[in-house]
Amino acid sequence: MIPTQYYLLLSAAVFCIGIFGVLTRRNALIFLMSVELILNAANINLVAFSFQYGNLSGQVFALFAMGLAAAEVAVGLGIVLVLYRNFSDIDVTEATTMRW
Amino acid sequence: MVQLPTWTALSPTLLLGLTAIVLLLVDSIDPDSSNNELLAGVAGLGSIAAAATSVWFIVAGTGLPAENGELISLFDDQLVVDQMALFFSFLVASVLTLVVVASYDYMADKARQAKYYSLTVMAATGMSLLGSANGLAVAFVALELASLPSYALVAILKTNKGSVEAALKYFLVGALSSGVFLYGISLVYGATGSLQFDAVAAALTDGVPAGILGIGVLMIVGGVAFKTASVPFHFWAPEAYEGAPAPISAFLSSASKAAGFVLAFRVFATALMGDAVLAVVDWVLVFQVLAIVTMFVGNFAAATQENVKRMLAYSSVGHAGYVLIGLAALTGGSSDAYVLGSGMMHLLVYGFMNTGAFLFIALVEYWDIGRTFEDYNGLATQAPLACAAMTVFLFSLAGLPIGGGFFSKFNLLMATVRSGTWFLGAALIVNSALSLYYYTRVVKAMWIEEPASGLEIERYPIGLYTAVLVAALVTVLLLPGFDAVSQTAETAASLL
Repeated sequence: MIPTQYYLLLSAAVFCIGIFGVLTRRNALIFLMSVELILNAANINLVAFSFQYGNLSGQVFALFAMGLAAAEVAVGLGIVLVLYRNFSDIDVTEATTMRW
Repeated sequence: MVQLPTWTALSPTLLLGLTAIVLLLVDSIDPDSSNNELLAGVAGLGSIAAAATSVWFIVAGTGLPAENGELISLFDDQLVVDQMALFFSFLVASVLTLVVVASYDYMADKARQAKYYSLTVMAATGMSLLGSANGLAVAFVALELASLPSYALVAILKTNKGSVEAALKYFLVGALSSGVFLYGISLVYGATGSLQFDAVAAALTDGVPAGILGIGVLMIVGGVAFKTASVPFHFWAPEAYEGAPAPISAFLSSASKAAGFVLAFRVFATALMGDAVLAVVDWVLVFQVLAIVTMFVGNFAAATQENVKRMLAYSSVGHAGYVLIGLAALTGGSSDAYVLGSGMMHLLVYGFMNTGAFLFIALVEYWDIGRTFEDYNGLATQAPLACAAMTVFLFSLAGLPIGGGFFSKFNLLMATVRSGTWFLGAALIVNSALSLYYYTRVVKAMWIEEPASGLEIERYPIGLYTAVLVAALVTVLLLPGFDAVSQTAETAASLL
């Protein structure tokens, strides 16, 4: 059996890649993919810990999280679409009509 | 007396959900429906019914422990119906009612009305459900149910650049913070082996893996900070509130913030309270820092704005800082119920006065007379009644004894005194004094400045006026009626 720490390291790596993508990429679609990586990093954790503790609540919650991630992407793509229609670009730094 | 089945305790949330589905049904039958009376009527009736049911249950003591000391819990303990859940159901449903009544005029000539109403009620369902969540899993699902329709609502004016930009920023920060929040949940699950609040609290003894738990708790703080628009995840708030249709800004800044706080109250006061956690990561200290920084950031930024809606948006960030005192002043001692309760009181009063203020902005947008302080010059010569209501909201937000805001801020101050966190109280006083400056600028513009030539208002929309005046009336009535609120809030907080 693979020790749980390895899963934790894997998920931490995936999480960090996701955060890196969010912070450095300007393309809205890549941003969505990066968020997806973050959510799936959490899912890896949930499933691994669920296996370690021998209860199913983590696994079931991971299924819920996948469903919610899909719903979030659906709303996100809709917003990216209207972004493209209004600003003719999906660069997230282009939309700057409001400023503090 | 007839004994209702247990599941009916969830009625306020169920009524909201049912209303959302009925509206969705109307939308699927007639997608281009602009039958404003029907749509606003259904949404309004549903939200009033939910608010009334919540009050009935609070008065009847549904959320109090039964004779055997147990609270009503449903779905294998995933949802709990206590006074706090009912308190926040009432808050969300009443804000929703005001917003729906105002939208009757605001959305009258806009497209996609059926979607607008059903999404609003759906978001309210999620917020109300969040108040009943008794585990991290349900809390996350409810949080997303509240968030996803909100993103779509901010973008509902699809051809308006401001609306789209606001939705983009709201969504980007929201998606990131929900990811971080979920990762935090997974780590807390890893440290405790459970998602249930009580079970998490029971599993948190001295032997927990400190690193995993500590990072997990900090990430959960991040998720809460987004939903409540507190530092460091507050950047979306001014943009989203400024770009969104004003009734939606009202809804998000009042109800959505309250939902974020009820989540925080439950997670931190129920699951993560205890010496074993505080020894690993002192989240009380984290909240103390966040509360003070949020107050100062919100109020100083608000003071420099030229746009009234944006000023209110930043003031809403500042108010998140005030309510954070409800978490930051927890000591684990006897004052805790009062501290939490004072945060809840402020949220309720804030729900009415802030919604009212944003709905006044909606009224001004409806008249199309501009957004800056100068544009408000002499407005009182044309609409004295609405301006009087706005004056009540602003002075109550500042904490003057003209509305419930005075007592709720006073209670927050007393909470800091009782728990010995005097620096929080000092920050509260300094910031309230500062906030009086920028609130007064609006009042001065409305009542004292000369109106610009050609300022004339022809239409007095009945829905918007009703919503603004009712909100003002409730804000004022909360001054004599504050005892009822404070007692309910303290009882609710003591049950956690």
